[in-house]
Amino acid sequence: MSGRSVLSMLLKPALVWIALMALLGAISAIGALVPRGHWWVAELACAGAMVAIVVLFSMEMWRHAPIVRLFSVLGFFWVAILFGLTMVDYATRSIAPQ
Amino acid sequence: MPDGVGIELAEQFSSARQQKETGELGMWVFLLTELMLFSTLFVSALILRMLHPGAVTAAALHLKMWIGGLNTAVLITSSFFMSLAIELSRAGRTSPMRLCMVVTAGLGVLFLCLKGYEYYRDYAEHMTPFFAWRPYGLLGDPASRLFVDLYYVITSLHAVHLTIGIGLVMTMQHLARAPGFLSRHANRIAITGLYWHFIDLIWIIVYPTLYVLNR
Repeated sequence: MSGRSVLSMLLKPALVWIALMALLGAISAIGALVPRGHWWVAELACAGAMVAIVVLFSMEMWRHAPIVRLFSVLGFFWVAILFGLTMVDYATRSIAPQ
Repeated sequence: MPDGVGIELAEQFSSARQQKETGELGMWVFLLTELMLFSTLFVSALILRMLHPGAVTAAALHLKMWIGGLNTAVLITSSFFMSLAIELSRAGRTSPMRLCMVVTAGLGVLFLCLKGYEYYRDYAEHMTPFFAWRPYGLLGDPASRLFVDLYYVITSLHAVHLTIGIGLVMTMQHLARAPGFLSRHANRIAITGLYWHFIDLIWIIVYPTLYVLNR
């Protein structure tokens, strides 16, 4: 058995939980209180931060071997390319009036 | 590794470290294909929002944001217990690890119950455009059907993944009853955890994309 205390084992999951709940609270508060305007930027930023926390700390990307880190980073990068190219097309396309 | 924690070397690997890294790489590659699958659905939701903002907002206002937010909190808490189970597995503490995994799966079941209640409320409000025999609540807004259909596709696909995750976590904690499990298969808990955290991650994207951004 390890000599690690329960407190030391709890520390990282607890910090991650607190950070994620705080960001969830921020997203929900913005969505409920100021649903219009440009606040979607803040909502997306909070969601992005939550994803980064889960990938880096819960999924422990920083602990994996370099080849695993490379695959995971490339995977998210590829998704970003797909997202980016698709959204640029729709964001810049002029739609003729019906 | 501490005493009682290790990996039984399979013949195709030259070291326990190589075996552990291969298992993690395999799970990550699988999860990235899942990410691609869900990403196409998220892109579709954003494109719908750009093309039909009024219709999407009208449909999104029918979604139960409080249930979506509560479910996000439930999954975040389940991920906390899964992370704790992984930490306990690394310390060779089987019994509390198994308890944490049961709590993790239990919170997954709670999520599904809340989701089922939300579907029931949607049905009661006639937000089921795919039922030809039931009048649709936003009949005068045909484009909103696309968003509502997409909502069901995304959330039900996530629910299927979550159900698989619950089965995986419960199976793993059941297997961990065997004496010396952690001395032979300690890496399996962390790999199972990767899948569970990924389900959490997908819902963290679903919640703002469907429930919050379109209001």
